[in-house]
Amino acid sequence: MVIAGFKDLDINELVLTTTLIFLIAPAFLLLYIFIYNRRKKRHIEEKEQMRENFEAEVVKTQMEVQEQTMQTIGADLHDNIGQLLSLTSFTLGSIELDDPEKARGKINAAIDLTSRSIKEMRLLGRLLQGEQLIGMGLPDAIRQEVKWAEKSGQYQVTCLIDEELPAQNNPDKDLIIFRILQEALNNIIKHAGATQINIKLMYTGGQLTLHINDNGSGFNLNGQMPAQSGMGLYNMRKRAEIVGGRVNIESAQGEGASITIYIPYP
Amino acid sequence: MFEFLEKNTSVNTNIETVGFIIALVCLIRDKNWFWRGMVLYLFITCLTELIGLHIKKLYLADMAHVHPNIWIYNILLIFQAAFISVMFQHLLSRYIDSKLIIICGLALLGVLYVYEVFDHGVFVKHNLTTTTMSVLFVVYSLYYFYHVLRDDRYLSLWHDASFWWVAGILLFYFGSIASVLYFQMLATISLHARTTYPIYRILIIMLYGCWSYAFICRKWLSPGLKT
Repeated sequence: MVIAGFKDLDINELVLTTTLIFLIAPAFLLLYIFIYNRRKKRHIEEKEQMRENFEAEVVKTQMEVQEQTMQTIGADLHDNIGQLLSLTSFTLGSIELDDPEKARGKINAAIDLTSRSIKEMRLLGRLLQGEQLIGMGLPDAIRQEVKWAEKSGQYQVTCLIDEELPAQNNPDKDLIIFRILQEALNNIIKHAGATQINIKLMYTGGQLTLHINDNGSGFNLNGQMPAQSGMGLYNMRKRAEIVGGRVNIESAQGEGASITIYIPYP
Repeated sequence: MFEFLEKNTSVNTNIETVGFIIALVCLIRDKNWFWRGMVLYLFITCLTELIGLHIKKLYLADMAHVHPNIWIYNILLIFQAAFISVMFQHLLSRYIDSKLIIICGLALLGVLYVYEVFDHGVFVKHNLTTTTMSVLFVVYSLYYFYHVLRDDRYLSLWHDASFWWVAGILLFYFGSIASVLYFQMLATISLHARTTYPIYRILIIMLYGCWSYAFICRKWLSPGLKT
């Protein structure tokens, strides 16, 4: 009877101990799930915070780009178009009708000045149109820009756009890429004296690559980096970095320039 | 009244009845059939417990002519396997299509049940089926939690009815595995000396505690998940 009692105790203890172990294991599992879930929440909140910060950065960049566009327009109107029109007005005012030969020369000069003013006005118009153009999508906006450059008849422009672009676009990034392209084209038109411009837009492995090169006069990279006028090469880099991208610029005096922009997309 | 209740109920039946009442209040108008099915399942469980208690009394009064109440729990096993498996299928559907897994599990339990019926009849506990069912439910629970962990979305676990329902199952069936495994050894010692009764009582409190909280979550704390 005593032996049987010990036996009962042993089995009961065994069952009790095993049950306790079998209860502690799921209890720890549940605890782990709670802790992991809380971490997951924190991770989601951090991600959300990063997303909000990124969006705020993009908005800030857009505002800066807009501000710079307005500054460029203001400066161009005052320093360039204003001067041209003043000169036109002065030239026209100085015409002496008694001397038809001299008058013809001045009229021709006034016509030339007016044409240059119109050209400058068109350049400014393009800057203002950017956001409307991007509404059609980045490839179409680039094509419009190419058409505009070809219209002048001074440049031969080739444009290759990858057909495998992602179906879902990112309008914020599109606008920044488009502004960089506009700035690059403006620089070519104003300073490079090029005859050939090549534009290539490609998409591979979640990355959008925009490549622009020309056969113009080129420039010395070491002396050109800081912002000099408008957006400048320095600002191109800054804008690309804000959307997680980078810009590669290659140029040498007399050998044209090549700008490649890499942006994670969409 | 109290005397009647004292004679005709036990701690287990009281816990189960409370669980059934909470389920009735919380789930009777639930739009989801699976959750509403819990009311029926708990009703069947309570009814089985009460009948079991009555048979036990008859057995203790006349051991020579009355069979122990094990057979009624063997019948309850069918409902247990069916209701809980179907509920798991519903809860796992949030993450994967688990129909095949659940059907295979039910088929296995069916085969074992039939085998045990032919092997030792209905008056002996279907221990093999019970053990396999416990293991299966533990595996389903772990599989469910694996998906909860893998899910990128954050879940408000304190208010998640599904989580608490599965937690109850895991605690109960994982905890009871020891008693089920040592069932043959425990059968050799006297009823009063067995620790399985207090263990089962604690496990039942855990199970119905978790389930009742899950039903409350379902009714009041997570209304967005009702449909």
